[in-house]
Amino acid sequence: MSSTTVYKGRSGQWAFVAHRITGVLVFLFLLLHIVDVSLINLSAELYDEVHQLYGNVLLRLFEVGLLFALLFHSLNGLRLVAVDFFPGAVRNERRLLSAVVVLTVAVGVPCGYVIMKPFIDGTLLG
Amino acid sequence: MSTGVSTDAPVHVASRTTRGRRPRQNFETWSWFFMRISGLVLVFLALVHFALTHIVNDVVETDAVFVADRWENPLWRLFDWTLLALALLHGLNGLRWSIDDYVRSPARRAWVKAGVYTLSGVLFAYGTFTIVTFA
Repeated sequence: MSSTTVYKGRSGQWAFVAHRITGVLVFLFLLLHIVDVSLINLSAELYDEVHQLYGNVLLRLFEVGLLFALLFHSLNGLRLVAVDFFPGAVRNERRLLSAVVVLTVAVGVPCGYVIMKPFIDGTLLG
Repeated sequence: MSTGVSTDAPVHVASRTTRGRRPRQNFETWSWFFMRISGLVLVFLALVHFALTHIVNDVVETDAVFVADRWENPLWRLFDWTLLALALLHGLNGLRWSIDDYVRSPARRAWVKAGVYTLSGVLFAYGTFTIVTFA
């Protein structure tokens, strides 16, 4: 009772850690995103000026990161819902996590390519 | 679920109280349930939003004209506001769980929560104002 509980969930524990980290990252971006979109009410020119920054290579890389965070958090969240509501999913929890990781990469890589394409094609410099 | 006292085994006080207790539906139960439901809706809203602004259209195309065209339609405003409200609440509740886990000192925890809630509240109001008043 008095000793600290140590959770040795192995893959499930890493999924938990990754879910938290991706959740916080997406939340912080959301706060920033509310501010940058709201500039449109001050002036359309200011909004456009700030918004062009998102086309910058560094911010495109950031967007690819955001995409992976969003995909993992979404898919792992679906896994959590499945595990919480369907007893069958608990038994296949490990396999479900593999599916989450595979799907995150399978969707994230081609979509990440589309985001980086203007840079890869050389139409975008620095 | 058994409500009575089992007759085929000796009854311990502890098990009797456990069995007789109804599941309590307190704030944390609803918070857990809200995360599941809002999460399901957000998978759809957030991924559609990201796909439209980064995959279907390039991010540099989503300028002020793009936003004005989209917000001509009140349904897109509703879509964006629902995404704003659910994502903020979902994220805030997740952050609340994390703060409870990692910020152990009661005083610091109270300050951190006050800061996070205030910032989120202000930005929610600001975001709502933007979506509603944009003309």
